Amino acid sequence: MSFCQKSLYLGRERGVEMFKSAYILNMQTENIPVLEVNDIQATVLRPRPSPYRGQYVVLRIDDAAQGREMLRRIIPYVAPAEDWWLTTLPGWMGIAFTYHGLKALGLPATSLETFPQEFREGMASRAPILRDVGDSAPSNWEYPFGTPDMHVAIAIYAKDEESLEATLAMARQSHHDLPNISVVYRLRFSELPNGRNPFGFKDGLHNPNVEGSGAVVHPGSGRPIKAGEFIMGYPDELGVTASKPEPEVLRRNGTFVAFRKFQMRVAAFRKYVREQASSPEEEELIAAKMVGRWRSGAPLVLASDSDDPELGADQKRNNAFSYEDDMQGLKCPFSAHIRRVNPRDALKNELVATNLHQFLRRGTNYGPPLPEGVLEDDGVQRGGVFLLIGVHQRQQFEFVQSQWITDGNFISHGREEDPILGNSGTEGIFTIPKRPVRRRLHGLPQFVAVQGGEYCFMPGLRALKWLAGLEAGGMTE
Amino acid sequence: MTIAQRAQEKKPAATGIARPGAKAGQASEFTLISKLKPGAADRIRALLADGFTGERQKNTDRIATVHDLRFVIFDNDTRIIFASTFDGGWDTYIDDFGGIIPDEIDLLFHEFEGYPGINAPGIKDWIVAQQVTAVGFYSAYPQASVRDVWKALKIKVAVDTLLDIASN
Repeated sequence: MSFCQKSLYLGRERGVEMFKSAYILNMQTENIPVLEVNDIQATVLRPRPSPYRGQYVVLRIDDAAQGREMLRRIIPYVAPAEDWWLTTLPGWMGIAFTYHGLKALGLPATSLETFPQEFREGMASRAPILRDVGDSAPSNWEYPFGTPDMHVAIAIYAKDEESLEATLAMARQSHHDLPNISVVYRLRFSELPNGRNPFGFKDGLHNPNVEGSGAVVHPGSGRPIKAGEFIMGYPDELGVTASKPEPEVLRRNGTFVAFRKFQMRVAAFRKYVREQASSPEEEELIAAKMVGRWRSGAPLVLASDSDDPELGADQKRNNAFSYEDDMQGLKCPFSAHIRRVNPRDALKNELVATNLHQFLRRGTNYGPPLPEGVLEDDGVQRGGVFLLIGVHQRQQFEFVQSQWITDGNFISHGREEDPILGNSGTEGIFTIPKRPVRRRLHGLPQFVAVQGGEYCFMPGLRALKWLAGLEAGGMTE
Repeated sequence: MTIAQRAQEKKPAATGIARPGAKAGQASEFTLISKLKPGAADRIRALLADGFTGERQKNTDRIATVHDLRFVIFDNDTRIIFASTFDGGWDTYIDDFGGIIPDEIDLLFHEFEGYPGINAPGIKDWIVAQQVTAVGFYSAYPQASVRDVWKALKIKVAVDTLLDIASN
């Protein structure tokens, strides 16, 4: 333990050296527990590289002993949170397990039953709560999502193609001679030009500020949120340190990930926005009203009339805003995507504890961009994969998805849904507050369809070794 | 059927996790029956003597999903029923209540025997253990949330005012 403490302390100091000039750092005080960043997986706390390339790989384990052998070989390449800035790493991996995956590795039932209900049930069975219906229904998901064949999810990140190939080769080494380990899914991802998402917007500009993580914090991330909301082993916002799942060695420094794969219907989005507008300027405004930001990333609250690319590009300013001066929603609509998923202070008069409904978002894009100006679907798959990370998925991802994305009651908007992420299976409306009368758009189609999803457990590195049987008292036959 | 009603008919209300309690549209009924601590009946009567007025009304209004609620003492002052109708599922926001108005909630329920406290780890299990699902549950407006009703009432006032001004 003392070694761990020491090395993580050094790690944080290095982080300070590198970033103190450019960013505001998470303030450390005596009451804040020291996070074991050398044991927490990098994916939990650190942003992905930019630009980035990578691949998601899903494995199925048909033999527990081979599964553990695969783990033993892969562990050296799983990056801890403290090493993320080491430029010598060609690429790195994150690894997580589904309920069926832990079972396939031989985790005893006494442990499995201490995992949270949503994790044991699997994301497909939560479809009525998550409103994964219509095109987003699990019956339309890609294999192996929603089936018991999804066991191990691996995310491989790299800064370029060469590094990716090198890392993929290492990953293949981990199971090439193990006949009972099969690759059941692969998806390549890479950054689109200018770091935009397929809809053409700069995104990923906000993540909660994890107390004590030492991660870089951009202005506007809000007050620090207790680490226990995102990583087990530390107190959460209610002062509780997770006591499940058991045993302690397995949960410590671990967390849960809601994996969501989205298809983004870019042509439908462009076409709809064009139909609603009478000029290119109005088209841009309507699109921005739906998102809550302009394409450059500039938030509507700070730039209400037109895009401000300089603001959008400035990390110190592009997220530094609150809704205090926009409580009527005249700049950023109540129903705008970013105001729904991260209400900041917009709900301060309501009885809702927004600090309990935060999760870390790690987004990546797949597929080529739809060429500029094209309004007809080209049949090419494109979209995003999101890792939504938090210890209390029911209060975090599931709450946000069911209350803030696929419902409008919390903002007195009846059943109006998120204009970008909502409206699966039925046409929607979108309300734009305006004086003297609001504008309301009708017939919003579904712009984003869920193509797959699952809850995964992302253990700490020591827990990985325990799962692989490498730790004293760890799992073996 | 109005357009608004049709728009609201399309899907069931979001709920957290399957819990006891009957549903009518997006509304849920909640009936909790508990023993009272010795001597608690009179203390509760005193506590609720002014009803849900003043600060207590304000705090309850802030929840904005509760259509109604009542406390009924019975069995010679030994037991109590807490019954309510609200939007969605009760455990969706229960952690939020514990985070924002724990004292108000504890004040209302601490005389219930075995009540562990709104922020106790066992609170949800305790609620489930005391909860009794209604065998019959009716709502006159099963598709309308509290916020929908509040908004409709505000609109009615505004429309009446508009009509009055227009006809004068």
